[in-house]
Amino acid sequence: MTIYPAIDLKDGQCVRLVQGKLTNQTVYSSAPADVARRFQQQGARWLHIVDLDGAFTGTPANLKAIEAIADAVTIPFQVGGGLRRISDVEQMLQAGASRVIIGTRAVEGPDFIKQLLDEFGNERIVLGLDARDGKVAVQGWVETVEMTAIELGKQMQQLGIKTAVYTDVSRDGLLSGPNLEAIRQVAINTGLSIIASGGISSVEHINALRDMEADGVVGAIIGKALYEGKLTMAQALAAAKTKK
Amino acid sequence: MIAIIDYGVGNLASVQNAFRKVGFPSLITSEPEQILKADKVVLPGVGSFADGMDSLHQMGLTEVIYEVVKKEIPLLGICLGMQMLFSTSEEAGLHRGMELIPGKVRRFQLDSSYKVPHMGWNTIRIAGSSRLFHDVYPGSYVYFVHSFYTEPEDPQVKAAISDYGIEFTCAVEKGNIFGTQFHPEKSGEVGLKILRNFGELKA
Repeated sequence: MTIYPAIDLKDGQCVRLVQGKLTNQTVYSSAPADVARRFQQQGARWLHIVDLDGAFTGTPANLKAIEAIADAVTIPFQVGGGLRRISDVEQMLQAGASRVIIGTRAVEGPDFIKQLLDEFGNERIVLGLDARDGKVAVQGWVETVEMTAIELGKQMQQLGIKTAVYTDVSRDGLLSGPNLEAIRQVAINTGLSIIASGGISSVEHINALRDMEADGVVGAIIGKALYEGKLTMAQALAAAKTKK
Repeated sequence: MIAIIDYGVGNLASVQNAFRKVGFPSLITSEPEQILKADKVVLPGVGSFADGMDSLHQMGLTEVIYEVVKKEIPLLGICLGMQMLFSTSEEAGLHRGMELIPGKVRRFQLDSSYKVPHMGWNTIRIAGSSRLFHDVYPGSYVYFVHSFYTEPEDPQVKAAISDYGIEFTCAVEKGNIFGTQFHPEKSGEVGLKILRNFGELKA
């Protein structure tokens, strides 16, 4: 299983929110590229980057910081947040992202995703499946829609999407542990490769996710736990690797 | 100076950036004169084989690459750039490559437990005599994104192999012609070591 250390960007800084709420923000670094470089040095093989300004406003806003990260590392990274137009996606891939994550725009109907898959292929387009109580959350998690994560995931899988980042919004930034059963259900019922996110903060959590590899869980995104020192990258990488 | 050939595909900045990290200045260019003046040449690439070859032909760059090889300037093809060094590819029909390395580019035919494209980190096994992999540990992880793989006629040119459902050649070396199916510019410290080795080659 792959460990994805997360870098959440707001106003060019590396921050963490709690449950996606802007009122609950901690700034961890004003130099996200340094953070990225450190994650690579610690052994990370992927990075997960979120443009929070983009997620809330619908327009990418941290391109400079993302370009700086691309300059700082030589490992692949994925970017999500505010990618609502083909040109946004193109710009992000051009900036050095290996994959982009599409959330809100996937909910609005299959056409946009179809177009992206035609243009860029399914190795570069990842579905952002954000859920609160099983329902899909959009617009920087401010809104939920009347569709379950599993319904949306299935629909997108049929269009050709292969991989999804599944985030349990209610767990994000709380270090309270992932909603394992929900993650498993999404993986099994959608047929997508699932990168789990939200609340993952201990070796036990990672072990539990790793044991769901056969169900299609391929990755774990870790944010706050790394920044707060609750979990080290070395521990996370070791837990993702060891077989029982 | 390392010339990175620009034929209108993909993100070349990441290749340039990686070379800069290991101390080798490079230039992204499609100018024949600059390419032929360089002491190393890199042919990167993403996208389809036919599109890549078409672009090279249209820009007159295949002739330049033949000249690079003739002058024995070390040449490194990355991903599609490696595949185009081969004789033919079966991607979307049958297409002719630059025939610098006799062999075929074939599509992965794997059972459904293997997803295609092969995307992600995978281990490599290294042939002993490789210059590109000098001091790279066998079993190192590198980063792949591809649906097709190369099959050289001459096993002697295989510099590294990898497994993805089948065993396939993930790097070649023939004189001063080098190729990697994986992306060294996205392969962390191992990738940087490989690029440093290339940069330090004596032609």
